[in-house]
Amino acid sequence: MRVDVTAPVGERQEGKPSFNQAREVVFDIQELGVSYGATTALRGVNMEIDRNLVTAVIGPSGCGKSTFIRCLNRMNDLVSGVVVSGKLLYHGVDVYGSGVDPVEVRRQIGMVFQKPNPFPKSIRDNVSFALRMLGMKDDLDGRVERALRRAALWDEVKDRLGESALSLSGGQQQRLCIARALAVEPEVILLDEPASALDPISTAAIEDLMHELKRDYTLVIVTHNMQQAARVADKTAFFNLDVSNGERAGVLVEYDDTSKIFTSPSDQRTEDYVTGRFG
Amino acid sequence: MRITFQEELDALEAMLQEESELVLRSLRGALNALREQDSQLADEVIAFDEEVDAQYLSLEQGIESLLARQTPVAIDLRLVLAMLHVNLHLERMADLCVTISKLTKLAISLQPNVQIVQTLEEMGGRAEEMIRVAMRALAERDAGAAESLVDLDELVDRANRRLVRRVLELGASEDMREYGLRVIVISRCLERLADHVVDIGEQVVYLITGELREFSDASHPEVE
Repeated sequence: MRVDVTAPVGERQEGKPSFNQAREVVFDIQELGVSYGATTALRGVNMEIDRNLVTAVIGPSGCGKSTFIRCLNRMNDLVSGVVVSGKLLYHGVDVYGSGVDPVEVRRQIGMVFQKPNPFPKSIRDNVSFALRMLGMKDDLDGRVERALRRAALWDEVKDRLGESALSLSGGQQQRLCIARALAVEPEVILLDEPASALDPISTAAIEDLMHELKRDYTLVIVTHNMQQAARVADKTAFFNLDVSNGERAGVLVEYDDTSKIFTSPSDQRTEDYVTGRFG
Repeated sequence: MRITFQEELDALEAMLQEESELVLRSLRGALNALREQDSQLADEVIAFDEEVDAQYLSLEQGIESLLARQTPVAIDLRLVLAMLHVNLHLERMADLCVTISKLTKLAISLQPNVQIVQTLEEMGGRAEEMIRVAMRALAERDAGAAESLVDLDELVDRANRRLVRRVLELGASEDMREYGLRVIVISRCLERLADHVVDIGEQVVYLITGELREFSDASHPEVE
């Protein structure tokens, strides 16, 4: 399916094709580089991200993994001085091409952050806020319920939708943030350390949820927790900080099936990192 | 934490090497008891199996605990999995030494055949050499040495086939038939023992390359 990110909000495609077995590339990333002023954050990243899979991005602090996923929905646009080079094709469309609406990009490619960040509003309003902003006002209650159900939160909150989102536990707040991202019917969900601030039980709930969500969505998760990557991801990308030629930059070292990365990685640097012999 | 982990891995691997030393002692004892028709030594080999079993068990428990606490991955995971297999192979090899010793006792009153005893001694000696090669290949992460076990095993298989022909020539007296029966099983034990060593070699290659593959097909048409 080709998604027209240049289409105005009112004409966007809302239907998604059902799960298909054939590999379908959602992101085709070619020689992606990111720099902040004189600092290179990422260099020469080439990878393809497949539909309906969980792709994990792992690597040491400062290797550019968060910078990387923030490129995927142009979240880095909001940081001043960022220059993105190379090509980032989303269903064949250059995300950084002229005429592309970054707001529409972020609707199709949602994001969940490390710390749950619900608005200080009711549970219902948290989910419906973006819907109203985007003009998706028909069947608002139905959309809110569907989003909360998909985020496995509905049963816990259905009787108190009017209560403040801040009354929820940390794990519930994070699932609310996922519901908020799902409400606008994206195709891709980016998760930047979504469970690092949560206890093990809430973490397990998020991981189970990811497993459910990949039937309908494409998920990309950045995680410090390698066992989490091993548990949830179909494919894993290992980024590392490359310090050659006097320049420090994040590079993609290895990208493969998760089981390969955690049983017999091809690159010694991956081996050293996943076995804990790094740094 | 990773330093402790590495020390634990090293300790487990050292225990595995010790276990192979115990198996070598067991095998040597079994071969000497067979050659000398020494019933007492055969009993000692049978009793010695408890030491191998104890070593097997503590390795098994050590690996279980390590898996539960450290979640090894990549080369560490392959080492742990390979050690689990090698541990079991070594324990089975010691069991085969026990069987050889039991058969030695059963045949103690029978007149031995010099050529057959020599062939069994040759097979046992080759098996000992194979164990040393395999365990050194493991210690030194030497895939080439591990693969060479296939050729050494072929020599044991050939000796086994030679022994079977020799037994058929022993004659039809009741004693000879019983003797033939006993030594064929002993020969079979030594042949199986060598097969276990080849399997250890396969684990060494898996450890080094991540590739699980049998060196030779067990249903090989030449094998009797």
